[in-house]
Amino acid sequence: MLELAAYFALLSLVAVGGIAPVMPEMQRVVVEAKGWMEAEEFTQLFAVSQAAPGPNVLITSLIGWKVAGIAGALLALAAFCLPAAVLAWGVGSLWDRFRDAPWRKVTQRALVPVTVGLILAGGYVLATPAGLDWKNALIAGASAAALYFTKLNPLWILAGGAIAGAVLYS
Amino acid sequence: METEAAQQQAPRPPAGLGELFWGFFTIGARAFGGVLPWAHRVMVEERRWLAPAEFAEILALCQFLPGPNVGNMSIVLGRRWCGLPGALSAFLGLMALPFCWVLALAMLYAEHASNPVVRTVVTSVGVAAAGLFIGTALKLGRPLARKPAGVALVLACFAAVGLARVSLLAVLPVAAVLALLASRRGWL
Repeated sequence: MLELAAYFALLSLVAVGGIAPVMPEMQRVVVEAKGWMEAEEFTQLFAVSQAAPGPNVLITSLIGWKVAGIAGALLALAAFCLPAAVLAWGVGSLWDRFRDAPWRKVTQRALVPVTVGLILAGGYVLATPAGLDWKNALIAGASAAALYFTKLNPLWILAGGAIAGAVLYS
Repeated sequence: METEAAQQQAPRPPAGLGELFWGFFTIGARAFGGVLPWAHRVMVEERRWLAPAEFAEILALCQFLPGPNVGNMSIVLGRRWCGLPGALSAFLGLMALPFCWVLALAMLYAEHASNPVVRTVVTSVGVAAAGLFIGTALKLGRPLARKPAGVALVLACFAAVGLARVSLLAVLPVAAVLALLASRRGWL
């Protein structure tokens, strides 16, 4: 568990743009490197964290919970939030000084393709818990298209995924 | 465009720790399908702690920083208004209820996980949520579509982390350096 907490603390500092870009890395460590759970289980925990209200960083507490119960849940969430919070604390007061600095715009533009690539990777990894199969590809593709082309509330899209899963796999 | 009413009522920071905690608590409590819209609604529209421009600015900072965006926002604002106790109460207020919710839901699921139908449905919800990630990435990446360097970086990051499963800690430094170089040359 301490190993998990230390790793989350480290990830906290590279989680540019929130938790989505580090999701594929979390899955890699938790499922592939450490074997704490199966890929399918990870995708299920991800489902729970996305369907529940609140910040999506709470997936960290579910991973902690699975590994070490309630204490693990608290520790994992704290580990993922604390280093970033300390940084936010420190930088919050400096922001006015470098808000208009040219390097900030350069950095911000540079982050876009990296974040986009990592979020795509997260989507791919989480959508293929049992390798590539056409049913899951269909569900993920339909939900991506629904988000991209419509203004549907994401909760409806998740509900659609539940129905599609029940129908396709029955 | 600000309405006259909004201009007349200048934003006013929360009066104390209690109000700060409670405000962030209501953000967390109502945050179905994303926290950010609710953060805006509560802090800018309902409680008028912040002017819209201030909100956008703090958000830009928190998106620039690593870590959970709205979590960072609670720290930065809590600190600005009430120091360390403020940062703690805002953060705890934001997380308290969603934390209980998500654990309760996970426990409920764990109880029924032996049922194959339940398992299939929950996995499908996860797959659909993964699809939302893909849709989000496409939206974020749309401005890059006509920039070859941008597309190349997106694909390289995707392939390295998603397909080859290389550690992010190895990919990120390389990707960051390449992206910064491309960005400085105006390719992004």
